[in-house]
Amino acid sequence: MEKTRKPKNIFVEGAISPEKIAKSIANHAANHEIGGHSIFLGQVRADAKEGGKVTAIAYTAYEEMALQQAFEIREAVFEKYPLTCMHIYHSLGEVKVGEICLFVFTSSKHRKAAISACEELVERIKNELPIWGKELVSNDTSVWKENT
Amino acid sequence: MKLIVKVFGRISEEIGESEFMIERSDNIASLKGEINAVYPQLKDLKFAIAVNKKLSTDSDKIPEGAEIALLPPFSGG
Repeated sequence: MEKTRKPKNIFVEGAISPEKIAKSIANHAANHEIGGHSIFLGQVRADAKEGGKVTAIAYTAYEEMALQQAFEIREAVFEKYPLTCMHIYHSLGEVKVGEICLFVFTSSKHRKAAISACEELVERIKNELPIWGKELVSNDTSVWKENT
Repeated sequence: MKLIVKVFGRISEEIGESEFMIERSDNIASLKGEINAVYPQLKDLKFAIAVNKKLSTDSDKIPEGAEIALLPPFSGG
C-alpha cells in the first residue's frame, strides 16, 4: 500500500541545535536501505552593514502557507528522486550569528539522489516559502534580508 | 463585504499592523488600487498577493471571504 504523507511542521523556535541534527542522523541507523545522506545547514553570517555588523536574524513566516508550500515541494521532490527520507527544519524568531537556521536532510540508497534532492530542496525553500529574515545590526538598526 | 488582509515582513513594519480590513474588490488588480489608496506608503514596496494561501496574478478573481496576504520578497534560509 502506498504511504500517504501529510503536511509536517517544519518550524523550530530559535536556532536549530547541533544536538537535534546529531539525533536526526542517529535516528536513521535502523534503516538499512539507506546508503547515503546529504545534509545542508544554513548558518547566520555576520555580514557588514552600514554602521555595524549583523548580530542575529529574526525570522517570521506566513506559517500556514509556508507549511502548505513545503508539503507540495516535498511531494514533488519525492516524486522526482528515489529517496528514503527527507527532513526540513527552518527557524522562527531570533537566531544569532554562527547558529543554524535551516536544516535539510535527504537520504537514499545511493548518493546522487540524496545530493541532488537536497540541493533542489534548499533552492526551492529559499525561493518559494513565505519566510522573512530581518537582520539585526550591532548599532541597534535592522535591515530586511534579501535572498540572492 | 470586507476582506481580511494579512501583512508580513517589511510591509507589516511599514504600516504597524499584522492585518487590516479592506472593501472586497472583484480581482487582484483592483484590490491593488484599493490598497494603494489606503496605504500610499506601500506604493514603492515590492510584494506578491496570496489568495487563500496561493500566489495570485492581476486577473485572478477574489472569492467572498477569501484570505488575502501581502508578501514581500521571500528571504528564508
